[in-house]
Amino acid sequence: MEKRIRKILNEAAKEFESAGDESEIDQLYVKYFGKKSPLNKLTKKISTLDPALKPKAGQNINKAKSTLEKLFDRAKRNVKTKKASATKYIDVTAPGKKITIGHLHLVSQAIEEIVTIFSKLGYSLQSYPEIDWDWYAFESLNMPKDHPARDDWETFFVKAPPNPKLGNQVLTPHTSNGQVREMENVKKPPIRMINIARCYRRQIDISHTPMFHQFEGLLIDKNISIPNLKGTFDYFTTNFFGKNRVTRLRPHHFRFTEPSFEVDVTCDVCGGKSCRICKSGWLELGGAGMVHPKVLEAGKIDPKKYSGFAFGWGIERTISMKTKIPDIRLLYQNDIRFLEQFS
Amino acid sequence: MNISVPVSWLREYVKTDITAKTLANALSLSGPSVEKIEKRGNELIFELEVTTNRTDAYSIFGIARESNAILNAQSLKSSLVKPGGLNLNLDPDKSKPLLLDIVIKDKNLCPRFTAIIVDNIKIQPSPAYIRNRLSASGIRAINNIVDISNYIMLELGQPMHTFDFDKIKGAKMTLRKSQKGESIKTLDGNIHKLPEGSIVIEDSERLIDLCGIMGGLNSTVSRRTKRVLLFTQAYNAQAIRKTTQALAFRTEAASRFEKGIDLEGVLPALSRAVYLAKQTAGAQIASELIDIYPDKQKSKTFRLNFNKLNNYLGINLEQSKSVQILKSLGFQTKQNPNQIVVTVPSWRTQDIESDVDLIEEIARIYGYHKLPSKLPTGETPQTKESDLKEVISLKNALKYLGLTEVITYSIISKNLLKVSKRSEKNSVELTNPLTEEWQFMRPTIIPSLLKVISENRHLSPSANLARLAAERAPGGTSDIRLFEVAKTYLPQKNNLPKQDLMLAICLADANFYQAKGVVENICNYLQRKMTFAKLSKNHPLLGQNQSAEIKSTDEIIGTIGAVKEEILNQFEISTKTYAIEINLTKIYQLPSSLPQYHPIPKYPPVIEDISAVVATVLPLEEIIDEVKKSGTPLINKVDVVDIFENEKLGENKKSVTLRLTFQKTSGTPTLDEANQVKEKIISHLEKTFRAKVRK
Repeated sequence: MEKRIRKILNEAAKEFESAGDESEIDQLYVKYFGKKSPLNKLTKKISTLDPALKPKAGQNINKAKSTLEKLFDRAKRNVKTKKASATKYIDVTAPGKKITIGHLHLVSQAIEEIVTIFSKLGYSLQSYPEIDWDWYAFESLNMPKDHPARDDWETFFVKAPPNPKLGNQVLTPHTSNGQVREMENVKKPPIRMINIARCYRRQIDISHTPMFHQFEGLLIDKNISIPNLKGTFDYFTTNFFGKNRVTRLRPHHFRFTEPSFEVDVTCDVCGGKSCRICKSGWLELGGAGMVHPKVLEAGKIDPKKYSGFAFGWGIERTISMKTKIPDIRLLYQNDIRFLEQFS
Repeated sequence: MNISVPVSWLREYVKTDITAKTLANALSLSGPSVEKIEKRGNELIFELEVTTNRTDAYSIFGIARESNAILNAQSLKSSLVKPGGLNLNLDPDKSKPLLLDIVIKDKNLCPRFTAIIVDNIKIQPSPAYIRNRLSASGIRAINNIVDISNYIMLELGQPMHTFDFDKIKGAKMTLRKSQKGESIKTLDGNIHKLPEGSIVIEDSERLIDLCGIMGGLNSTVSRRTKRVLLFTQAYNAQAIRKTTQALAFRTEAASRFEKGIDLEGVLPALSRAVYLAKQTAGAQIASELIDIYPDKQKSKTFRLNFNKLNNYLGINLEQSKSVQILKSLGFQTKQNPNQIVVTVPSWRTQDIESDVDLIEEIARIYGYHKLPSKLPTGETPQTKESDLKEVISLKNALKYLGLTEVITYSIISKNLLKVSKRSEKNSVELTNPLTEEWQFMRPTIIPSLLKVISENRHLSPSANLARLAAERAPGGTSDIRLFEVAKTYLPQKNNLPKQDLMLAICLADANFYQAKGVVENICNYLQRKMTFAKLSKNHPLLGQNQSAEIKSTDEIIGTIGAVKEEILNQFEISTKTYAIEINLTKIYQLPSSLPQYHPIPKYPPVIEDISAVVATVLPLEEIIDEVKKSGTPLINKVDVVDIFENEKLGENKKSVTLRLTFQKTSGTPTLDEANQVKEKIISHLEKTFRAKVRK
């Protein structure tokens, strides 16, 4: 009996070893574990044996069964590994199977980048109305009633009765309406805010669309100086445009800041030497300035104790600086072939 | 405001040896920016941008004053020379002075009125230097008298006019507001129908001047002119601006008047005009000087504290340096300990409004480029951020779900508003739209997305596959799947419009369950639990049978569904399109359901499928609830494997296959246990829904 068992096991070992694929192994399984398997046949013979030999024979057959099972498992594993490490030729230049991924609009990509940079400096992202009262959009920002931005030549007005205190409803022409709103919200400085929103102005041409996105930063604290504003812009520029770019401030004029600046970045096309795209080696990034004391007062913050700076620019502008889009209107034509060019 | 400055003209008033390029750089850093340096003929021209508050610098002499102050502060040698003839003795040259009768109806219209008559005029071309400078500045030379007015406007920033004195009927001028229906032919030959309230001058018979904008053709200086009225004024800036806007007619003179004029500069300009008329036309003064100046311009004084100045600058600037800068710009100073008292020159009274304006003057002339760069220190505030921060990552998630973001205008046309079936009265409308294309603030984003699909429909695969493959970037999807995040606008009584942040999605060539899957993915991502229920009322855009409300407990958070056929037809979209709109403002206010830990089962489950035929309208959710209820506690999970309808099942019937997972914590359920529960479930389904369960 023991001899027969050994013979069966030897044979099985050979056969399982040489099995080439899973179906062959399955066949072998039937052969060795099925009703007509050689071990089954032996089992039936146990009853014919001498009673003294019976227990030993039973033990041997069970042992053989577990050996067979191990053989089967190993063979099955082997086949799988073989399959995976197949040496079959594969055309590695054929396209892979991709999961369809969509695209983010360039404006969102720029917003994400900007927000990330300013988050590190402790600015929090805020959101304020895009249709707001004249008070927040103009009056509180030191823009007198006869200021040109306030006539309906430049700003969209909403058909709605004016509020006796806050005036007309306007489509915000800038994100600066968030300044006094943020001061009212926070009440006591320090303030470090970023406000990004859709803005609206009555103009359309190659570099203007009636709707655009503006980005605004506001910092208010004790002893804030012009060098602090310069430091902030240098930090942003290095992170957004790259290490080799620098900024400069030029005098400018805005009603809600004093002094006011225009911020330039060195042109990357000519490296600051002057070219067709830039003005003598500089590209205009945006406007900035030290918050006007009257604006602080409008936000109920004491200008004797606190000072601050604000800055802002059109998101579309930074995009055209980075991607060389020839016409800003392309951003809002939503041709899918355009949108899919950017991840 | 842009101004062209011929460099040779500038150098007449700023005496310096430095090159034009160095001068341009210095100006850009501390004053008006030089946007371009251009060569026109032999003349080098600075194209300068002057900010709107600096009317005093909107002239050659104004730029000269700036240049000189800036160069001095940078220790570059220069000095300022004033134009000749600013303070002439204007007594008549003749014994019998001519008379001109002046009536000013409203002194607010014209805060200062000066004029003088000169005769003995010989009309001829101006000297070459005047002609060249005018043409370098883009103005055509005409004759020696007309050229003087343009020359002085460019040089001093004070516009002026010249009349042929003999054409002023009755030697009388009445300055007043225009009345309705009046019109005037200006010297360019155009007739302007005037709005009410323009400033005009009439002689004894007719209008002869559209003040501050352009003179009348009927009183203009011609080749035969012998006697000239030199005429220099300051006008009410707002009245001038209103007229230029109403007429859409803006001249060089108007663009200066509408920003305000230094009243103290009016007479020196007239004096300079007389000086040039004597030089170039042999003029003699033939009248007394007329100078109507009822309210003298007040001078302004401010106190500037040095500590405050240094706080802004972030450095300690020597007090003497500040004083020197202010003086070089024409300010008068009186020094006290720690502060100075500063008197503002007449030409700066408009733009200097406080001590902070003085700080700006000192800082810019000293040079922003010389100040250090230093990040602010101090604590960072702990303010709650807005939802927009979360939206940034949501947008990324949507991108990886295969959706492409678009940004469309929030201002829409009447036609697009009509699509959403919202009445105009019940929408946010603009009073002054740019065009009909942009007239209303949209109440929903979906029509805008349908418009984008429509505009891109020639790219859809059903239209032309080959063309699509050729034109679209590699990796592009075959169907259009778009999303946009934006505010929508709904009017509210006595308040700003409601401006909730919405997420809109449109899937062309899709089915309901694909769309629903997207919403479920979003809810998972946002960790907010949502349910879906049939629309409780008709939706203007979505068909009743394949649409649902997305709800959190009882609040409707959004809608999802098939866009109505009639609307797809309007947009010429031929594929079935699903639209989703979710109110993010509401969703972010809901508590997020953070995932809880469940122990991982130690024993394998038993899995059984059951198939039941039920009425088509029976919501699956009810079946699943019933299965869960009757299968408790052994049932762990119910998945939908298959739903179908066919003829064999009969009308209004559907077959539903559910996969039941039975699980215990103490071991694998036995077959008997599982079967018992399964039987119980089946009998409940048969009883409750009259389901036929295949066995």
